[in-house]
Amino acid sequence: MPRVTLHELAFARSGDKGDVCNIGVMAKSRRVYELLARELTVERVRAHFGAMVHGAIERYPLDNLDSLNFVLRGALGGGATKTLRFDQTGKAMCTAMLRLELEAPAELVDEARRVTASLEGSP
Amino acid sequence: MKSVRIASGSAFWGDMLEPAIELAEKADVQYIGFDHLAELTMAILNRTKAKDPKAGYIPDIVPWMQRLLPIARRKHIRLVTNAGGANPRQAAIEVGKVAASLGLGKLRIGVVEGDDILPKIDELRRSGWRFKNLDTGEDDIDSIRGDLVAANAYIGADVIRDHLAAGADVVITGRASDNALYVGPLMHELGWQFGDRDVDRIGAAITVGHIIECAGCVTGGMSNMWKISERPWAMGFPIAEVFENGDAVISKPAGSGGVLNEWTVKEHLIYEVHDPANYLMPDGVADFTALRLTTDGPGRVRVTGMKGKPRPTTLKVCLGYRDGFIGEGLAFFPWPDALQKAEWAAHWVKERLAATGVACRELKIDLVGVDMLHGSIAPRDDRNYNEVGIRVAGRTRTADEADAIRREVTHLWNSGPLGSCFGVPLKVRPVVSLWPSLVPREAVPVTGEMMEVG
Repeated sequence: MPRVTLHELAFARSGDKGDVCNIGVMAKSRRVYELLARELTVERVRAHFGAMVHGAIERYPLDNLDSLNFVLRGALGGGATKTLRFDQTGKAMCTAMLRLELEAPAELVDEARRVTASLEGSP
Repeated sequence: MKSVRIASGSAFWGDMLEPAIELAEKADVQYIGFDHLAELTMAILNRTKAKDPKAGYIPDIVPWMQRLLPIARRKHIRLVTNAGGANPRQAAIEVGKVAASLGLGKLRIGVVEGDDILPKIDELRRSGWRFKNLDTGEDDIDSIRGDLVAANAYIGADVIRDHLAAGADVVITGRASDNALYVGPLMHELGWQFGDRDVDRIGAAITVGHIIECAGCVTGGMSNMWKISERPWAMGFPIAEVFENGDAVISKPAGSGGVLNEWTVKEHLIYEVHDPANYLMPDGVADFTALRLTTDGPGRVRVTGMKGKPRPTTLKVCLGYRDGFIGEGLAFFPWPDALQKAEWAAHWVKERLAATGVACRELKIDLVGVDMLHGSIAPRDDRNYNEVGIRVAGRTRTADEADAIRREVTHLWNSGPLGSCFGVPLKVRPVVSLWPSLVPREAVPVTGEMMEVG
């Protein structure tokens, strides 16, 4: 199976509430969502972020939106008003998440690529 | 079916004004909500008010109202804003002056106050309430009581709704939740009440408020769709048409730029949310896990099946306290050996801080262009960078210590490797740390006063 970045398979958006960062991961198709629901586990995400996240990580599924919401506690250097991070409010945490690598069946990777291509081909 | 058209004209203090004017001029809306506040903003406004009792509101409200009020009057659009910040009463007085100077005739301005609970903190604690820190679990605020500078509860839509029922043209609040700016008008127009009957409809109002409250963030801003955003410099801000059965259609002004599709609505639904089945707001608890999104024509997304639960008995309160200072510096290094030069400079700064005895509570040095945004996840390779920067940031107890950090980076201007470059010096800034907590709803009596001008 090809190994691809999450960027190939999903969109993502992140933000802050105090020292807590949440990252919404939106699968590019229903079948990709089913794959991510199995493979994109809390353990996987914890290993990816390593020492960047000090607290608990929670995962919430949104089956209706083919999306997973990850809540990362202790991830923003104490929160926007006191953090030393340049990215005070965690806006780039979603793109750091998209660097995560997964093994995915080639046909799902193609399916996700077709979604990206159809979007970018027709505004 | 009865419906109401409500739009979002601002997401933060400093947002663009032109999309709000476009909404008022061209979008056939009945209400425009304006969020100007964030946790840090309230701390700044409280500090401003402490220095000058006639300050503490968002100063932008004056030029904004100069542009928006004449259009709103002509088109019968009602404006709801939390630009009152730490001083909604003074903000209303200033808006009244704007209306008078423009000769707009009689204008009713509803003021919403009561979110500031700082004067009541000790009394509440004496009565047995503890301000437990929701992030850290610490039991109460003993360790920070002496440094408290702000305590604002996130208040709900009740008094906004009442002002609208009483005929307010403009409603100006303090720290109303961003969301309540939208829930209030929807409750008023559609006759929705707190309680069992409308619990899903209030849930829908909260969900719709959440979708549009960050303005351009659902119409192409901050988006995975940035490549397909049309004329993004002319981005339109979002409009929600909300129906009395609790369904809604999200759109943006005809002919406006940006992009709005199911993806951008999804992006915003999961934005700054923890448990999506329990999105806690002062007016209720929305459940985002049941709703459906469907495309309703180009640039239009229909939202159906929104659910809610009754409003909580507590309100969130954000306590702000003085917590030292941050000193910061930047320097950049060019090819050849840009990365090695930056690493050399990072080491140099650490040695200098140690040698001069600067005490830091925390120090962070990023390599700009290498790992500043992705930290340890960023791949490190021997790429032949054209330029790499260092960003040094340190948190200290005193302003002098923070300034010493800033200064140390400027010393690289003359002492760094070949080609070291610098911009302008950055300023030391005070830190207001936040202590998120809860307060009983009944301890925050929200009050409303109608001011009439003209």
